[in-house]
Amino acid sequence: MIGRLKALFRGDADRVAESMSRAGFESVAQFSLIILMGAGLYGATLGLWRGPLQAFYTAIKFPLVIFLTCLGNGAINGMLAQILGSGLSFRQTAVTILMSFAIAAIILAGFAPLTLFVWFNAPPLHSKGAILGHSVMLLTHVFVIALAGVIANRRLLGLLRKMSGSDKVARAVLFSWLTGNLFLGAQIAWNLRPFIGSPRLAIEFLRSDPLRGNFYEAVWRALRHLFL
Amino acid sequence: MNTQPTQNQSLKPPPIPGPFAFEPMPRGASPPLVIEALLKYPGRIIHELQNNWRAALPLWLLSFVMLGMMAYGVVVGSFSGGAQLWIAPAKIAMGTILSILICLPSLYIFTCLSGIDAQLRTVTGVLFASVCLGALLLVGFAPIAWIFSQSTDSVAFMAALHIGLWAIGIMFGLRLLEAMGHLLGRSARTHLKLWSVIFIVVCLQMMTTLRPIVGTSDHLLPSEKKFFLAHWAETLRDGSAKK
Repeated sequence: MIGRLKALFRGDADRVAESMSRAGFESVAQFSLIILMGAGLYGATLGLWRGPLQAFYTAIKFPLVIFLTCLGNGAINGMLAQILGSGLSFRQTAVTILMSFAIAAIILAGFAPLTLFVWFNAPPLHSKGAILGHSVMLLTHVFVIALAGVIANRRLLGLLRKMSGSDKVARAVLFSWLTGNLFLGAQIAWNLRPFIGSPRLAIEFLRSDPLRGNFYEAVWRALRHLFL
Repeated sequence: MNTQPTQNQSLKPPPIPGPFAFEPMPRGASPPLVIEALLKYPGRIIHELQNNWRAALPLWLLSFVMLGMMAYGVVVGSFSGGAQLWIAPAKIAMGTILSILICLPSLYIFTCLSGIDAQLRTVTGVLFASVCLGALLLVGFAPIAWIFSQSTDSVAFMAALHIGLWAIGIMFGLRLLEAMGHLLGRSARTHLKLWSVIFIVVCLQMMTTLRPIVGTSDHLLPSEKKFFLAHWAETLRDGSAKK
């Protein structure tokens, strides 16, 4: 598994594609463990600014968002991969997507010392600059998570090209997976908030009535307040 | 001696690689194989319906349409709960069947106008397969629809989401019809594209005719007739409509 991930980090899609065609439950377990550890470690740095308890909660919830998104979109991602002619089975689709999240989790874990450094230098919670500190942490984490996502998906595109044999098909499959995962992932993240934790609210594992509220409605309301 | 193909003979399909390859299905096609063919090798479905027609295949496809639409209907009904848990699946399944029945004659006519040499039973089977593929995709989208159903009270949002997901499903399904045009005819695009637009409009109007599907009402079916655009405009304007 380490060899497979190293090969993919290097962009050696040939080697990885060959092993992915045989990947099974063992691969699922290995990638899940990497996601749990890497995303969990990064999640801890995500919540640390608000407090150690928030760090603990976010270390649990950050990998959970990934797993719930993979689970919720598992069927449709598999169907779309087949319909779009990639040649991937449901099993291969699940393993491939888990692998891309595992790559992102490793990148995030690698950035954990950096985000810890930002936390160390940001205005702390109980200072006058707490709002600034919250904003700095928020923007830093958004940037790091976006960067990890872009890198992981570029590698995934290379692998899909190799497995499907067509650049057009690979792009179509990647686009469909990304759209679905982002759409559902944003809502799941909304339901499982808070991750960083607002300085004005108490630390909670989940907000009261966590299924209440819709990410896209919240964005729409924010846009309306901004422009109307 | 050269023999010209007669009007009733199928022309050799143009070579199309990939999933729309015009080839037979494996012998002893079972429901799982039918679903696999629908997702991965839809050209095989068209081949069987044209060259090796058996009643079992279209019946399986129609069964999957009903089951898939009812399964998704339960998710739609979970937004309001209560009686909608059976009303929504019943309306969605029935509405789909009615839309197929309403549009099938025009599909056969447009198929003939396109120069496609196919019997009514073949065209019927391909239409079942197209809608079946859309239903399968809706089943795949069900977890996404469910989580949003539980997270919002807004009828307008959920209606828009369900229509969006249905549109994605039907778009992939209607590619099968286009493939039938390529495989069994010459330049069949314009007629079948036009028919696809008609089918989509009929389905959208059917949703309004059978309202409410998302949300609740005192009556099972509406007493007032309404065009679907007018109904949507009213729903969006009245953004306060809740479960």
